Amino acid sequence: MKRNAMIALAIACMLVLAACGGNNGASSGDGGGNAEGAEEPELRMLMQYSLFDPNEDYMAKAITEKTGFPVKYEMLPAENADEKLNLMVANKEDFDLMKLSAPQFFKLATAGALEPLDELIDSYGANVKAAIKEPSWQSSTIDGQIYAVPETGSGISIGEELIVRQDWMDELGLEAPTTPDELYTVLKTIKDEKGVIPLTGSKDAIFGDISAAFGIHNAWNETDGTLAHKAELPQMKDFLTYMNKLYSEGLLDSEMPINTTPKAIEKFSSGQAAMFRMAWWNAPGLVKALEQSAPESEIAVIPYLQSAEGAAEVGISTAITWYIAIPKASENKEAAMRFLDAKLADDVFKSLAIGEEGVHHEVKDGKYFPILPKFNDDLNNGSAYMTGTNEHTYPDYWQARVRKDPVLQHYYETFQANAEAAEIIIDPMSTAPPIDAVSRNTQKLNKLLTDAVIMFISGSRDIAEYDQFLEQWHAEGGAEMVASANEWYQSAGAGE
Amino acid sequence: MSIRTSLSERLFNGCNIAFFIFFGLVTLLPFVNLTAKSLSSEAAVVSGSVNLWPVGFQLGTYQYVLEDAMFLTSLGNSVLLAVVGTALGLFVTTITAYPLSRLRLRGRKWLLLMFVFTMLFSGGLIPMYLLMQALGLVNTMPALFLPAAINVFNLLIIKNYFEALPDSLEESAKIDGASNVRTLFRIMLPLSLPVMATIALFFAVYFWNDYFTAMIYITNQDLKPLQLFLKELLVSSSSEFLKDNVDAALNTTPQSIQAASILLATLPILLVYPFLQKYFVKGVLVGSVKG
Repeated sequence: MKRNAMIALAIACMLVLAACGGNNGASSGDGGGNAEGAEEPELRMLMQYSLFDPNEDYMAKAITEKTGFPVKYEMLPAENADEKLNLMVANKEDFDLMKLSAPQFFKLATAGALEPLDELIDSYGANVKAAIKEPSWQSSTIDGQIYAVPETGSGISIGEELIVRQDWMDELGLEAPTTPDELYTVLKTIKDEKGVIPLTGSKDAIFGDISAAFGIHNAWNETDGTLAHKAELPQMKDFLTYMNKLYSEGLLDSEMPINTTPKAIEKFSSGQAAMFRMAWWNAPGLVKALEQSAPESEIAVIPYLQSAEGAAEVGISTAITWYIAIPKASENKEAAMRFLDAKLADDVFKSLAIGEEGVHHEVKDGKYFPILPKFNDDLNNGSAYMTGTNEHTYPDYWQARVRKDPVLQHYYETFQANAEAAEIIIDPMSTAPPIDAVSRNTQKLNKLLTDAVIMFISGSRDIAEYDQFLEQWHAEGGAEMVASANEWYQSAGAGE
Repeated sequence: MSIRTSLSERLFNGCNIAFFIFFGLVTLLPFVNLTAKSLSSEAAVVSGSVNLWPVGFQLGTYQYVLEDAMFLTSLGNSVLLAVVGTALGLFVTTITAYPLSRLRLRGRKWLLLMFVFTMLFSGGLIPMYLLMQALGLVNTMPALFLPAAINVFNLLIIKNYFEALPDSLEESAKIDGASNVRTLFRIMLPLSLPVMATIALFFAVYFWNDYFTAMIYITNQDLKPLQLFLKELLVSSSSEFLKDNVDAALNTTPQSIQAASILLATLPILLVYPFLQKYFVKGVLVGSVKG
């Protein structure tokens, strides 16, 4: 960790140095190019880490074939990615395109390392413009200028929901709980009768189904046109009191604060725990493991719990995951934009998202199904190469990825259906542009909150002290963050 | 000849032996556990039912890893790095250590001080990166072994060893007309095999285990050494990394394959140890006891 701190410090110095008159010695200015795409310059693209060789993949070849642009791909490391990125940007490495996470994008954009794209999009980006919806553009606009092509993922989809050992529920004659109170009774019965951990989970899974039933849906929540962070919600105390009750009566895994997700999956699939909030993408592994350790077992999904008012609600963030930016240091800015545009032409985009019909995918009842193993062999890493998606068509295309595995598909579809039966509440900050005070404080304050919440739940801090904690949270940047968020929300026309 | 041992001595020995067997087992356990995991079915690993013995025996993980182009490329890189790096490191360190070990070298003290200075102070990461970039070494193999070719600590060990060799050997070589270079390679080196083997092992282990240098200087997939590949394999499967990245979560590496990769990556360097062990023990003793 000391090393990380040193790197961070060093990079801070670096950025300052680079800002004062960058002397770019070694720009390799590749005039050579490659014989195939003689007309288009070779582009150099920086990707996020993924475990495959980006220059050998089917996708790399398909993209060059469809667009005519030869591209050289490089990846950020899996660890210390931000530091490495800063190092490369400070050295003016001549990347033409960068796929950035939200914090990375914001940092580079405000540091002046990224090219404003408005003119390039107007001149060369007709497809880009058509593919991306207005709210997404907002999120990459800083002071009226667009600094990146925003890439949404799979559209609105719910990731996690509580699952339970239905065979035990049947054995004990229990019904699926619909409210926190019923949940308490179910957990209590399971503990008394079966002697297993009633509810397990990991540290990141504290908020979710249960907190939603108390009215805590998202990181940001709107009431009467005003935004409040979840830490500030009055419901928080009720939620913590409830969780503390579960914890102190042994209904919540006492190791929850130190569990990792695989550990929680292990506990559920080995029969040590009865209930767990699962992400659908973990379903295939978990189901297989449980089948092996307890062949007679059965899993059921618990529909989203209702609040005291009888409303089942589920929170979701639709924030942009990736930003595709053109760095100022690029020597092929115009070509880079033409490349992005070519990738978003309807037919090209479709073939890059789900391959060729009859080869990689087939259409059944208007839905796209992958043809295996060809789909996996060729397109498994497709998402990593995405540079902006067609927001109108991609959610449909993307679901082909979920239909790779019947178990995966089952849980994905069940979760979505349950969410639709409940009310989906979108985090109002999802479409916010990068806001300095928010970007700067979010990570730190989330950690502060998570740590405190764990202490409140485990009883090592009394819930009566919550107001004191909130004061500290506000003082350490929370107040500033909430004020900035509201400033944006009001100016954007509260609630649209 | 038998030496009588008192009760307390035997007791002490017994405790010692028990203690070391215990610690030996403790260090061995993770390997056994990993081996068992790598040989078990993924379902068994996920449910945590694998401890010291495989559950649902299979060898598919090893087949998968050994057919994985990225694993093989990076294995090749690591072997190349370890061999070239060790050879170069040993050569450069030796030819530097020899003159520094000779009292007749003028300014020896100051030269030594300059080397020792770099042990305590270095330019730091960013200047190093700038230097490497200016030299055109970023994303090349030499970036991984050139900066580490001289390790001052190793240099001092070799220098001390040379100093301990009797001066008369060198004198008689000189009388027979040997040049400095000849003296080094024909007289000093054959007498220094233990220390050479030790330092070679130091270098080899360093180059084999180093992932940090590669993480800084290498982004080209084809040049990544094995440890970096391994690091990225593990980090990219961690829940921290997968949070908010559904597409990556859909493509995670099964835990049994992770275990097999770790074992296969550790094995080669483990195999080197037994062959160098006898030199190793001698080499580490350098300078401790003078006969």
